Amino acid sequence: MRKHKIFKFLLMGIFLLLFSNSLYAENGSHDSLSTVIQVMVAIVVFFVIIVLWLVMVYSEKNDSEGKGFKKIFGTSKPSSIEEEEKLLLDHEYDGIRELNNRIPPWFNAILYGTVIWAAAYMIYFHVVGSGNVQEEEYAVEMRVAAMQREALKSSGALIDENSVTVTDDEGDLKSGEEVYTKNCAACHGTQGQGLVGPNLTDNYWIHGNDIKDLFKTIKYGVAAKGMPTWEAQLSPQDIRNVASYILVKLHGTNPPNPKAPEGDLYEAK
Amino acid sequence: MNVEKFKYDNYYPKLFALATIFWGVVALLVGVTIAIQLYVPALNLGIPYTTFGRLRPLHTNAAIFAFVGNAIFAGVYYSLQRISKTRMFSDVLSKIHFWGWQLIIVAAAVTLVSGITTSKEYAELEWPIDIAIAVVWVVFGINMIGTLMKRREKHIYVAAWFYIATFVTVAVLHIGNSIELPVTFLKSYSVYAGVQDALVQWWYGHNAVAFFLTTPFLGLMYYYLPKAANRPVFSYKLSILHFWTLIFIYIWAGPHHLLYSALPNWAQSLGTVFSIMLWMPSWGGMLNGLLTLRGAWDKVRDDPVLKFFVIGVTAYGMSTFEGPMLSLKNVNALAHFTDWVPAHVHVGTLGWNGFMTFGMLYWMVPKLWKTKLYSRKLATVHFWIGTLGIVAWVIPMWWSGITQSLMWKEFTELGLLKYPNFLETVLQIVPMYIIRSIGGTLYFTGLLILVYNLYKTMKQGSFVPEEEAEAVPYDRTPEPLKYGMIHRYIESKTLLFTALVFLAIIVGGLVEVIPTYLVKSNIPTIASVKPYTPLELQGRDIYIREACNSCHSQLVRPFRSEVERYGEYSKAGEFVYDHPFLWGSKRTGPDLHRVGKKYSNMWHYLHMQDPRQMSPGSLMPRYPWLLEWDMDKESIPAKISAMRTLGVPYPEGYENQAIADLEKQANEIANDLMQSGIDADPNKDIIALIAYLQRLGTDIKKEVAEK
Repeated sequence: MRKHKIFKFLLMGIFLLLFSNSLYAENGSHDSLSTVIQVMVAIVVFFVIIVLWLVMVYSEKNDSEGKGFKKIFGTSKPSSIEEEEKLLLDHEYDGIRELNNRIPPWFNAILYGTVIWAAAYMIYFHVVGSGNVQEEEYAVEMRVAAMQREALKSSGALIDENSVTVTDDEGDLKSGEEVYTKNCAACHGTQGQGLVGPNLTDNYWIHGNDIKDLFKTIKYGVAAKGMPTWEAQLSPQDIRNVASYILVKLHGTNPPNPKAPEGDLYEAK
Repeated sequence: MNVEKFKYDNYYPKLFALATIFWGVVALLVGVTIAIQLYVPALNLGIPYTTFGRLRPLHTNAAIFAFVGNAIFAGVYYSLQRISKTRMFSDVLSKIHFWGWQLIIVAAAVTLVSGITTSKEYAELEWPIDIAIAVVWVVFGINMIGTLMKRREKHIYVAAWFYIATFVTVAVLHIGNSIELPVTFLKSYSVYAGVQDALVQWWYGHNAVAFFLTTPFLGLMYYYLPKAANRPVFSYKLSILHFWTLIFIYIWAGPHHLLYSALPNWAQSLGTVFSIMLWMPSWGGMLNGLLTLRGAWDKVRDDPVLKFFVIGVTAYGMSTFEGPMLSLKNVNALAHFTDWVPAHVHVGTLGWNGFMTFGMLYWMVPKLWKTKLYSRKLATVHFWIGTLGIVAWVIPMWWSGITQSLMWKEFTELGLLKYPNFLETVLQIVPMYIIRSIGGTLYFTGLLILVYNLYKTMKQGSFVPEEEAEAVPYDRTPEPLKYGMIHRYIESKTLLFTALVFLAIIVGGLVEVIPTYLVKSNIPTIASVKPYTPLELQGRDIYIREACNSCHSQLVRPFRSEVERYGEYSKAGEFVYDHPFLWGSKRTGPDLHRVGKKYSNMWHYLHMQDPRQMSPGSLMPRYPWLLEWDMDKESIPAKISAMRTLGVPYPEGYENQAIADLEKQANEIANDLMQSGIDADPNKDIIALIAYLQRLGTDIKKEVAEK
């Protein structure tokens, strides 16, 4: 009877392996793959439960009272130290003896609880498929963000390249300067004289000299020239402020070590 | 009854014990150095061999394979003889094992600092060393199984069950993960690519933790803890249950290192659920350890050995609860790529591996030298300094991990990232880095106290290489196979036991590996993803040599906060030509998967020369040698051929044209740099690296453009 069970358990493993092998050869389509995976997942979960059960039941001399559930989850306590002599096993290794205390019931409860949880998890996400896997989670997150953005746009809180105008408010220009120092100075020079990026103080512009052009260049970047996209990093107000700062404060100054002009000449406004 | 007389070999346990102390000092010193480098990048003194990227694998390898490895061997060689009542199987094998292992460690240290690396975490060593490891490991296995076969005990004690599991599984893992195609004597490419390489790597990586840092130490615990406490083991039944469930379940949990990655969802879920199921099997070991101390807690007050064991086992329990928790996808979304993960790891290594080793050494060295510990007081001081060190290491890293992750994810009311500049989130946690390095220094100081204390102990005692022993011979009447006694039967058969262990660990491995092949044919291919050009391939090898992946991931997760920061999230089909994969596991710096075409060539050039020119305040070290070193062009044809053998579709004969193509592309980049006023030389490493970085993650954009 018991041998029979072990035999079945081994068969299961062999079946599983053969089964998966034939799939490998088949090189199946996406649909059949997902069915296969569902079946495999179910088998795996079943397999795990069997292994745990086998180990548990066939652990040496599970001598607790009762049968079935009670045998595994019964509430008898571990020995007190005084009476542990009774539980000493009759062997020793280099002087080390072993007691045969029963496994704490809470231990078994959590162990089998996690197995049941695991089965439920796999079934929920991959067999029934009602849980959101990561692509769906992502889609939901992005949808919510898009809705928020739409709401902001319609409320007029967002400036864009069509509605932007130069600001001459000193506070805004001051904040534009801060944005510039933090994000732009590394490439365009602390005084706009140009370094990796072009000179911003002369009358030559590669992508136009209108506030709307600057706004667009900063917002979307120019991949071919190595100008990064700032859309995700700077708020529309920040972009307006820094573009205004460049046009109002930097442009037309004559800093030392200017980079040679690039782009087309635009007459000073 | 005739009693047989024989001798225990104490010589090799002694050598391994001395080696673990020596390498422990080295590993911890390197650890403290790189902890400080994280906030003082100039500490590499401007030379290539001591950059964080190269020292970090040196630290992990030295800690795992040199310090912990030698501790395992010292503990096994001492205890195995005694629980088997016999001498080690062969002194010659012991000798080959010891010196072979030390040689491997030295070779590892030399190659890693030289930038010779496969880039796969905890498996960075190149193929000749991999082969040496396999050989020496098998020598260890034969020596161990041989000893068990000639034992004078009827049954194999639980400690040795764990030793057997360690040997079998590490052999399987090491060989499975190290299958690579040699290109030159010291360069190879992993046969796996992209997603598969990631899965195999973390099947290995996670189980290196399981079967190199966990199971051998559980074995050591089962010998040294009851010996030191002089108490019987709490529950034999629990030993059986937690042993088999632990080794069976552990092997499946690897994919939890790849949650929210391009790995298929079902594989990720398997990683999660098996990690959760692993909680109780792990705690079984902790329970059996701590409950064995019932009735001996008064001894813990006085005995530094037991103090170390108590904290060691408790740390094991803590990190094996934290592990399953980190495997939940929503927790992992917060913790992955941050300092939380090193914090989790260091509870295990500093607490469990370190303290168990220290306790064992304080117990074993006096035994080997036939004397008493020189100073219990000093050992107690070591214990307290070490404990304080762990606390000062781990708590700031938990703190910084959560802080930084929250900063990465925070949006403003306008729907923009609150901290779009990655550097801002790094500078925020610098104080935590400083406290952590102080914690590490404390822990290191503790080890130095141990060195002094044990040196004095050895000085006052006299070492006995051959220890007299006697035992009754093994009663060879077979164990009856009857209900409730099945395990007893298995325990009496060494080879049967080993075979069952092999079955238990291979089932999990195969069921995950076979679908890996399924994945291979079903990764949604992306037509616009093309193989790297020769120059980019060369740049990729430089990226590997400098171990950029120590600090930079190449995997954008499907979160709004990451897509806004870096760009479109990473797809499995983008990595099909990546031998090996370079996803990384920690973002000390920003993700680089979408860095291609984001900045100009000149930006990269100046950034490598000195990161602070482009990014003021950056904590990345300088790489000026990239601007000076000549690119290795000769190996390119061999590399192209090797890649084609691995399935990368370079046309037949392309290797003959590769150098010309490489030079053409290099000249284009150099010309572009010269136009920007940089005196660039197309033959330098930097040109190849720029080519690679500019290519990263851009293929998919072409597809979008085509559509």
